[in-house]
Amino acid sequence: MKVVSSSKKIVLILSFLLAATFLTALISGRLSIQMSDILVMISNLIHGETSARDLISKELVFAWVRLPRCIMAILVGSSLAVSGAVYQALFRNPLVSPDILGVSAGCTFGAALGLTLPFNVFGQVHMLSFGFGILAVSLSVGLARAISIKPAIVLVLAGMVVLSFFNALLMTVKYFSDPYDQLPSIIFWVMGSLTRVTWNNVLIMAPFAASGLILFLILTFRLNVLSLGETQARSLGMNPSIFRTVLITVSSLMVAASVATCGQISWIGLVIPHIARNIAGPEHERMMPVTAILGAIFLLVSDSVARSMSAAEIPVGIITALAGAPLFGYFMFKNRRTGWL
Amino acid sequence: MAVMLECKGLEFSFTGKQVIYNIDFNIQKGTFTVILGRNGSGKTTLMNCLNRILLPGSGNVTILGKNLMSLSTNEIARLISLVPQEHIDIFPYSVLDVVVMGRAPFLKIAQKPGDSDYAIAINALKDLNAEYLAPHNFNRISGGERQIALLARALAQTTPVMLLDEPTNHLDFNNQYHLLAAIKHLCRLKKISILASMHDPNLASVFADDIIMIKNGTIMKKGQTASVMTRENLSTLYNTDTGEIWLNDRKKMFFPAHILG
Repeated sequence: MKVVSSSKKIVLILSFLLAATFLTALISGRLSIQMSDILVMISNLIHGETSARDLISKELVFAWVRLPRCIMAILVGSSLAVSGAVYQALFRNPLVSPDILGVSAGCTFGAALGLTLPFNVFGQVHMLSFGFGILAVSLSVGLARAISIKPAIVLVLAGMVVLSFFNALLMTVKYFSDPYDQLPSIIFWVMGSLTRVTWNNVLIMAPFAASGLILFLILTFRLNVLSLGETQARSLGMNPSIFRTVLITVSSLMVAASVATCGQISWIGLVIPHIARNIAGPEHERMMPVTAILGAIFLLVSDSVARSMSAAEIPVGIITALAGAPLFGYFMFKNRRTGWL
Repeated sequence: MAVMLECKGLEFSFTGKQVIYNIDFNIQKGTFTVILGRNGSGKTTLMNCLNRILLPGSGNVTILGKNLMSLSTNEIARLISLVPQEHIDIFPYSVLDVVVMGRAPFLKIAQKPGDSDYAIAINALKDLNAEYLAPHNFNRISGGERQIALLARALAQTTPVMLLDEPTNHLDFNNQYHLLAAIKHLCRLKKISILASMHDPNLASVFADDIIMIKNGTIMKKGQTASVMTRENLSTLYNTDTGEIWLNDRKKMFFPAHILG
């Protein structure tokens, strides 16, 4: 089919673009590391030579700060984007993003709680964040199960209930937190940032991102069928509730892992799938790979901007929102005649 | 003629209230059966029980001799297809992509439709003289064309039984006849057994081989169109005095009596 080959071309072009963005992101930042420096570092590493004195500090920044950070941007960006695409297909609603079932709100509350607790166990913030994120989704799904009339819309409403509840809890924590020490770090968390990313975080995030991406890429045709809604998916031989449970669980895990390490990074899950649909078409076989790559590029670029724009780093969530909101507005305008916006 | 679908003692309750009960009927191979009934009489519930979108409380449905309850969702989808009422709120898929989804029951879970599936989808559209629709945005075509596309999807599903949920709803005068003629043609050509719920008794008289009349959740009358479609039956079915006009010695039309004055 002609269409498929053209979508392969898109994926190829975007992959090159991603590689280029990745390299650019590696050399951008306040400490200048040139491409030539990286090549020297690599050749030194291969030949087992020690680097020149001025290169050592660059080497440290490169290997322990910038490289994990850029890899993390790719993992988190594509995870958030594909989760958004999956949610939009499942709920048949283009305005839905992974936050809708309260996963981000739960994660953020967990992180805030972790930051304000009087003791500090290793990894406490990340663990609490992840745990409360999953708890929030479970509450939404559980509440929807208990009501269970029209599954999709009830789930969205249950999500709103849980989301508001966790937001209220977050405000409580903020109110009682120390305004000089704890509050700024909570706010920084809410706005999302890749500043504190370590190799450890990358190792935790990678399996979630990889397994989710593989699963979603495998199930793209099923997502088309699921997006027709409960009755039609059933009449076409699928069991929508099983697929919904699996897909929601996996994407929630991806989002929870993202938010637990980098905080709330908004708009990627909402706006990237729209851009991908515009480039590749609405069929998930074509748009899902594009969504993953675009999400990665978007967060890489946003993060590079966030760390190079001023002396003090800007939370990346501000950049993604500043870029995402107008983009979303533009695509809403552009798609006004396709019948679903 | 061979029995395609057999329904015995079917019953479905929702929150303690019996919606349908004592439903017995057979559908023969390659026939067009129409379900008539007032709003809320249980037509849609009955159809949804036949492909297990709803779980019947009791009773037996067998398709080609196989018990519905012993089949997987996928196996059912290879035997019964559903043409839902017209809708538009999905992503702006092309018609071809909507039609090819009819191949889902034949694909493995991770499999994507291949060239042969697209060929089947194109042929389904050809069968309905609607090949030209293939590249169009499903959301941007007319209601009649959308119904044709959904019918093509059911054809691509290559099932021996097809359920149509009020297929002529939202269609204009001409399109109603056009669509039903196409359905009747397929039913004969491909030996597909079709069960459709409809609102207009006159449309049903023109196209149906058999009629099932449902009142208050159970079958009031069933049988061949000519024998069942009488003034008396329709008067009871719709709870309104019905008159008839004979067009010639074989064809007649029904109207509420007060219209005929």
